Amino acid sequence: MMFETAILVGILFGFAVWLILQSSFVKILFGFILLSNAANLAMLSSSGSPSGRSAPVVLDGIAVTAMADPLPQALVLTAIVIGFGVLSYLVVLLYRIFLDQKTTNAAELFDESRSQEGGPEQ
Amino acid sequence: MGTALLIAIFLPFAALVILPLAGRVLGPRVGWLALVFPVISAGIIINLALGTESFGQQTVAYTWVPVLGVELSFLVDGLSLFYGLVVSVMGVLITFYAANYLDGHYEFHGRFYAYLMLFMAAMLGTVFANHLVLLFIFWELTGISSFLLIGFLHGEKKSRYGARMALLVTGITGLVLMAGLLLLGIVAGEFSMAALLTAPPTDVPVGLLGGAFLLVAIGSFGKSAQFPFHFWLPNAMAAPTPVSAYLHSATMVKLGVFMVARVYPIFVDLEWWTPLLVAIGFLTMALAAVLAILSHDLKAILAYSTVSQLGFLIGFYGMGGLGGTHYDLLHVVNHVFFKGCLFMVVGIVDHATHTRDLRQLGGLGRRMPLLAVIALLSAASMAGLPGTLGFLSKEYMLKDAFYFAEAGADWRAWYPLALIVLASVLKVAFSIRLFWGIFGGAASPAVKEHFHHPGLLIQLPPLLLAACCLVFGFAPGAIAAFSETLAVGGLHLPGAPEIKLWHGVTRELITSMAIVAAGAVIFALGAATAWRWARIPLPLQFDTGFEAGVERLPKAALNLSRFLRDNKPLDYIPVIGLFLVVFLGGYFAYHWERFEVFDDFSFQEGFHYLRSFVVLLILLAVIGVVALPRWTTQLLSISIVGFLVTFYFVLFRAPDLAMTQILVESATLLLVLLLLSRFPRSAELGERRSPFSPLRKAVNLIVAVGIGGCVGLFSFLTSRQKVDDFAGLWFLERTVPDAKGTNAVNTILVDFRGLDTLFEIAVLVIAVLGAIGLLMRYRRSRQEYAEGALGASGFSVKGVRRRQ
Repeated sequence: MMFETAILVGILFGFAVWLILQSSFVKILFGFILLSNAANLAMLSSSGSPSGRSAPVVLDGIAVTAMADPLPQALVLTAIVIGFGVLSYLVVLLYRIFLDQKTTNAAELFDESRSQEGGPEQ
Repeated sequence: MGTALLIAIFLPFAALVILPLAGRVLGPRVGWLALVFPVISAGIIINLALGTESFGQQTVAYTWVPVLGVELSFLVDGLSLFYGLVVSVMGVLITFYAANYLDGHYEFHGRFYAYLMLFMAAMLGTVFANHLVLLFIFWELTGISSFLLIGFLHGEKKSRYGARMALLVTGITGLVLMAGLLLLGIVAGEFSMAALLTAPPTDVPVGLLGGAFLLVAIGSFGKSAQFPFHFWLPNAMAAPTPVSAYLHSATMVKLGVFMVARVYPIFVDLEWWTPLLVAIGFLTMALAAVLAILSHDLKAILAYSTVSQLGFLIGFYGMGGLGGTHYDLLHVVNHVFFKGCLFMVVGIVDHATHTRDLRQLGGLGRRMPLLAVIALLSAASMAGLPGTLGFLSKEYMLKDAFYFAEAGADWRAWYPLALIVLASVLKVAFSIRLFWGIFGGAASPAVKEHFHHPGLLIQLPPLLLAACCLVFGFAPGAIAAFSETLAVGGLHLPGAPEIKLWHGVTRELITSMAIVAAGAVIFALGAATAWRWARIPLPLQFDTGFEAGVERLPKAALNLSRFLRDNKPLDYIPVIGLFLVVFLGGYFAYHWERFEVFDDFSFQEGFHYLRSFVVLLILLAVIGVVALPRWTTQLLSISIVGFLVTFYFVLFRAPDLAMTQILVESATLLLVLLLLSRFPRSAELGERRSPFSPLRKAVNLIVAVGIGGCVGLFSFLTSRQKVDDFAGLWFLERTVPDAKGTNAVNTILVDFRGLDTLFEIAVLVIAVLGAIGLLMRYRRSRQEYAEGALGASGFSVKGVRRRQ
């Protein structure tokens, strides 16, 4: 029973999706950051309630059954790092788009009527 | 026998490799090399035919695809041997003719003969195939090689259109045939043609058998250019003339006729057999004869006359009674002789004068006397004048039609006879016109200008065929013996009546004479008016309509995809999101009872106070992301969320996660802040206005709320159960003994799942390389953009031009 975690995951996902649906690249980037956090939390929450458990560090005197599940934690740790890798790539990509296309807005980027200054001219 | 037959069928496939290579060296002379293949096949099949017995049936089987029960099995009986003979012997003549016909003006000789041999192999495979699936495969292979040959002169638009039309019509009807053959095989529980012929399926549902027959009939109509598919054959005449003579008169288009004859014993009991085949066959016969008299192009006339003859053959099998038929082979072989010959003659005329239009030809009789004699004999056979094989064919055609009319119940039984007479009259008329138009009268200006004399060798094959028309016309006993030897059980009646040249003055003879007279009158009328009225009326130009349909189809598809598609990627994301919401939400709603979501709900257990407090803080921060105006403040809110999540990890007893998250969060903050600092204020201000309509905003809201709700519910459901034997237990137990480490998360990452971590690092390396590539690309100038995507690619420092 972890209602608060479920609510948190739901809210984070909702806001992340909302941001990703915007046309501003910066908002989309923010949405991606939130989405990555939300997904990590969802993954972690699948290990069940941590109440009454200890961290997954094996020390004498603690039964292994009374510890938190280490597997989701290991997975999430990997996910955090990869999420950061992708994020940094997105940041650079966004910078490049801004340099080349002079816009930070997806709607403007794909607007066919826009005259592209410095862009490809047919 | 088995090996020899396999060689006869599959050896020509070897030509596919040999001839194109040899063609590069030999050029036009490769035709003489190609002649080897049909000679070998013809020799083997003649040998087989000599050793065959009347009503005999043998099968040769090899395993091919045992899983599907498909065998490489061949059926050798009278019918398959007859068509095998036609295909291979005509193959010899045509290759000989083509070797003379395709001179240096043509290109890709090797390829041409390779296609021709492919076609011959496919044809032999089709007529000898025993397994129904094998039959279909070879059947479609003939269509493909026909497509390649029609489109051989692909530089011409007519060739491309004709090839496409032939492929579409025969290909689609071929698929119908496949459905019919499969249905037949499933209904009868037997895929072997030999077994089906010896024991036709009896106690099976008539509806299913009738369905199979209908599908097979449509497939045959398509291949044999029967109404309403008759239009593709004249368009196939864009092929070089040897191809027209071989594929589109003598062999491939007879496959439909062959198929009808092949399945005759299986389907003849059906109520629909006679009405369908007679109605379509004779309608085609008469219609094509009308179209032939309205045409001016030599090959078009011959094409329509071929369609007409094919219609007769289909109708002929339709008229056949329950016991079987007589002398179908007479009609087929007659057509092979005179039509193959006429096509070759036309090819020579075309070659000699560079025109095929009857209105521009004339007076060639004096210049090419041998060819004129050849053409006279074959045209006489087509018209059915006494002394030729065509006369005999027409006699027996009329005899069968009279018999059918008398045996029939009402006036509808006279339908075949009436249409045969009509078609024959027209046939006489255009036979005379064909001969007289080319060879009679004075030399036309076009002839005077272009004429050059054809060689003697090229006239040999048509001479041979014309001689056959004459010799067999006077010696019908040979044809009778031939038919008797190649008779097939179920299709032919034993003890056929003798074929005689002179029956006395019978009604057939009188009708025949009347037909010739009427045909001559029509020719005289046409010649008197110089055939000015001869034009195919628009409603009968099926090919134009078909072509327009084919042209319009891609346009319709384009319009449809333009209607469905959007050029902006942004518009796709809500669609995908909406689908997810509907899919997941629908799933949850449908199975709501099963999940028992709120069954054991209690606030004490449901909410943990400290975690709930953190959740509240995160919620506030997230609202800040959406509500705050500036990018930087929004970013700070995002960062607050990240750091609060770190604390949440701590509450989840995950110290390693918290450590990683705090580092990554700091780096993210710095990195994105750096990015935002590069954007001008104007960019941020420009984005205050949302470009979306209220409707789009509502859709976005629905998608966001829907996905949030679904994932939240999913997360709740997965975390509800408190299990004692979780997946990570194994790692906790093994971490100290195996990995010598106490922290299970660390040992999983670096010991137990070390390779995963390696790949994770690889992902980071790829991201870094990508980022470097993006950063080091220098800005391209207008001019460089104008040079296109390949102009001045830039792995270079900004501002430094690598190329002027």
